[in-house]
Amino acid sequence: MNEEKNYFGELFAGVKSLCIGLKTTMREFFTKKITEQYPENRDTLVMFDRFRGSLVMPHNENNEHKCVGCGLCEMACPNGTINVKSEFYETEDGKKKKRLVKYEYNLGACMFCQLCTRACPHDAITFDQSFENAVFDRSKLVKVLNQEGSKVQEK
Amino acid sequence: MFFDFSKVTNWLHGWLTGFMPEWGAILTESALVLLAIIALYAVFAIIMIYMERKICAAFQCRLGPMRVGPWGLLQVFSDVFKMLTKEIVNLRKTDMFLHNLAPFLVVSASMITFACLPWNKGAHIIDFNVGVFFFLAVSSIGVVGILLAGWSSNNKYALIGAMRSGAQIISYELSIGLTMLTMICMTGTMSFSEICMQQYEHGWNIFRGHVPAVLAFIIYLIAGNAECNRGPFDLPESESELTAGYHTEYSGMHFGYYYLAEFMNLFICAGMASTIFLGGWAPLQIPGLEGFNDIMSAIPGAVWFLGKTFFVIFLLMWLRWTFPRLRIDQILSLEWKYLVPISMLNLILMALAVSFGLYF
Amino acid sequence: MENIEKNTAVQPEAKAEAPKAPDAVAPKVVKPAVAKPVPAAPTTPAENALDLVELTQDNFRQTIEADYQAGFTFLECLTGMDWGEEGLGVIYNIENPETGARKCYKIKTADRVNPVLPSVCTWYDIANIYEREAYDFYGIKFVGNPDMRRIYLREDWVGYPMRKDDEPEKFNPTRMTNEPLADETSGLMYDEDGVNYHTERSKIFEADDYVVNIGPQHPSTHGVLHFRVKLEGETIRKIDPVLGYIHRGVEKLNEQMTYPQTLALTDRLDYLGAMQNRHALCMCIEKAMGVEVSDRVQVIRTIMDELQRIDSHILFFSCLAQDLGATTAFLYGFRDREKILDIFEETCGGRLILNYNTIGGVMADIHPNFQKRVKEFIPYMRKAIREYYDVFINNVIFRNRAIGVGILSKEDCISYGCTGGTGRASGWHNDVRKRMPYAAYDKVQFNEVVRTEGDSYARTLVRMDEILESLSIIEQLIDNIPEGNYQEKMKPIIKVPAGTYYSAVEGSRGEFGVLLESRGDKSPYRLHYRSTGLPLVAVMDHVCQGHMLADLITIGGTLDYVVPDIDR
Repeated sequence: MNEEKNYFGELFAGVKSLCIGLKTTMREFFTKKITEQYPENRDTLVMFDRFRGSLVMPHNENNEHKCVGCGLCEMACPNGTINVKSEFYETEDGKKKKRLVKYEYNLGACMFCQLCTRACPHDAITFDQSFENAVFDRSKLVKVLNQEGSKVQEK
Repeated sequence: MFFDFSKVTNWLHGWLTGFMPEWGAILTESALVLLAIIALYAVFAIIMIYMERKICAAFQCRLGPMRVGPWGLLQVFSDVFKMLTKEIVNLRKTDMFLHNLAPFLVVSASMITFACLPWNKGAHIIDFNVGVFFFLAVSSIGVVGILLAGWSSNNKYALIGAMRSGAQIISYELSIGLTMLTMICMTGTMSFSEICMQQYEHGWNIFRGHVPAVLAFIIYLIAGNAECNRGPFDLPESESELTAGYHTEYSGMHFGYYYLAEFMNLFICAGMASTIFLGGWAPLQIPGLEGFNDIMSAIPGAVWFLGKTFFVIFLLMWLRWTFPRLRIDQILSLEWKYLVPISMLNLILMALAVSFGLYF
Repeated sequence: MENIEKNTAVQPEAKAEAPKAPDAVAPKVVKPAVAKPVPAAPTTPAENALDLVELTQDNFRQTIEADYQAGFTFLECLTGMDWGEEGLGVIYNIENPETGARKCYKIKTADRVNPVLPSVCTWYDIANIYEREAYDFYGIKFVGNPDMRRIYLREDWVGYPMRKDDEPEKFNPTRMTNEPLADETSGLMYDEDGVNYHTERSKIFEADDYVVNIGPQHPSTHGVLHFRVKLEGETIRKIDPVLGYIHRGVEKLNEQMTYPQTLALTDRLDYLGAMQNRHALCMCIEKAMGVEVSDRVQVIRTIMDELQRIDSHILFFSCLAQDLGATTAFLYGFRDREKILDIFEETCGGRLILNYNTIGGVMADIHPNFQKRVKEFIPYMRKAIREYYDVFINNVIFRNRAIGVGILSKEDCISYGCTGGTGRASGWHNDVRKRMPYAAYDKVQFNEVVRTEGDSYARTLVRMDEILESLSIIEQLIDNIPEGNYQEKMKPIIKVPAGTYYSAVEGSRGEFGVLLESRGDKSPYRLHYRSTGLPLVAVMDHVCQGHMLADLITIGGTLDYVVPDIDR
């Protein structure tokens, strides 16, 4: 007797659980869908401001940046992503000073650990929110961050 | 008043015999029917693949394909095109003959059963007095194809998948057979056209046969789903265990045949359910409501048939996208411990109902 | 929100210290040089320094045997070491799971050519695989371990890469041949006398065994994991896990990196426990240096850890559902996980690679929207869990597939070191948050979810209940984030005082420990991670035997391993 009870009890409990499942999926059938249609929603798509897209060096309207070419970011980088080329030059009053020549950044090797931005004493580099970084050639991922003819911002 | 498709076929026959001998006319008609079947088979497969994607997406809070064509309408076409252009990879150390034969067995079994469906009054392609019997017999050819595929692939996953499939399909044929027997017990005929005709005249079987018919309908849906190797009974090809089961080693259109056959088996299973339980092409008739009945009869039988079939397909898809997969021993115990005893009892119940005239 | 817990501020340290008290053997303390005298604050310098007791080959087995009999049945961590001149050796962390008492031993051998040490396989099942790791990296052979194959590296690898004098690149060009996989293994076994030893060969698989490869590319191994499964019909007779497909040598890389740089790699171990992994390493370094982070940081870290845990458990549910064919439940999980990822992204700037904890604090203060979003998320998640139950967990098909499948006894869990939800489903109270409270866990009230069945269903329920517990922890903290610095001022070059340190956190799937040996340089001398997933993979052979192939998927899914964490 007991066994039969188990048999039918199990059967009905099982069927009930299946029906609850069916009810749940049917409810979701009519709820709003969550798909984001990415290329179409480009205009409305806003990344979070802390999102790390790729490393940039902001320039102001006079084509000036804050980088003094100290190379701390290069040292901090675990992957050798950053290559800072700087040179010494003589100022008008005869002092030797360092200035940035070329700031190379390899996006393909970057792991976005933020050590460079934290190491920078002048806040010269930061991460932007761009994320469409796909290119056809790996060499295109090596970017020069300082713009043509730019110079360091005087304090 | 209900549109009878045999008018069309009779006219065609008359017109053809007008300028060619009898045998020539029959040959031409057969060729036309063959073309029609293949065309319908492909069209419905495409519709169903699209439908499954969209319905599955809706259950899962997604949109489904949206990119190719408006609302992703062309997605299936592009997929079919892709599959047609893909290479059929021949593998070393396989039994080439059986390996290539297997998909054709599967697809031809499903095509022949497809031809059994009653599309409209007078539009039965294969129709004779033991139609149900023929249907059951032919649908079993598919399992041979699956077993062959598993065996000839020389792949352990494929073999396990095929063995599972064999055990599963052969077991569930029993339930299908029993439920069909239950309904034949009531209709008294094995011919699909007569079953439909009866339902046109006396109302759908599911209403006529009340409790035993509803039970049989539910059991048929479960067993039919298992017969199609669809979730929750998709363990012959359970992708998380056996990667792709018996068709692991197939590529290109050979794989496409399995894919096609799986979808069309679902269609056939649903079509059979609508034929035997829901009246086939018979419109909904409620005694006493003449105006309503007239409107219902004005809708062509093919629409009725397809409507019912797609309704059943939706039910099956709903099941498929809700439940997790069973294990092989559970699948067999579900069949042998639950479905078979219940459908046997159901058969007795139906026999009693019929012998005491307790049906409508 | 009141902190009902009677803990005072002193409590955490007291608790953390407590396990060390019952040490029977006089400890040879390796104390670090403390940089600055700490004021009256209750912090003792480098509370996570290990009291390493050095054993010799002669007394090693007797000591371990005595400890094992005394209840030290949990081998927490086994770390191969290269002490240079002093030779190669191993550090053992063992724990008494009943009392929480902990001991650490070290043993070394000066023979660098043919280093041989006694194995602890006899007592701890997990030692088998840990010792294979030590053999793989340091070439130490363990007498008594019958299976001395490489575990992560290819079988034809030359040399032992973690030795300080090894040159891996020199002898190991990129090989274009297929990786050999032996069906045979050998190990050193003791002779009758228990002192001398001989080589013993054994077969992993016989020639006519029906062996199916599950992986390395397989939908349900959750990454590139490879099981060689011996089947009899559909019944599993033996499983041989083949690891190392995504071995990246994180531990080796760490030895050349500065401390801040090592942090970046922790996120890439167990990617579903990125917060906790990084938390463990930061905590280990901070405690070793005697840096005390502000309460604000502690609370933020706690909240983040719990969010990460919820994230991981949702993914656990999703992947389990997916593996068992319930594709819809899978997407429900992913839908809800997206909300957590958004919360993470807003504050940390990343979704998977979070990059948030730093030595002495966190990368950035919480985002102004953080609290609002989290508070929206809590009720949402509670509702979502009910849906999980409706659609999958209470489903009769899943119940039949999970109940009674893959039963792990408590003893097995301890012996195999299966911490986390897996251990707790078998009745083992192993929650690090309770055992050795860290961050703000002593200030919140929560239950350690423990069940006794030990089967797949219990493992699932434990995770689901843990989501609820985590939600309640977050709820208690989210309105009470104290003011303070989010980052302590650190020196530009971080140096950890010489010593050996161990810190553990409760990761998403068990105890994630960091063993750090420093020689006072700017980079670690040795940094070993106690992987949460390795014991879970090691136990697969034991737990799957006699089950069906389909159960392997259920069991693997409910054990919940993540491969990058295993392979490191």
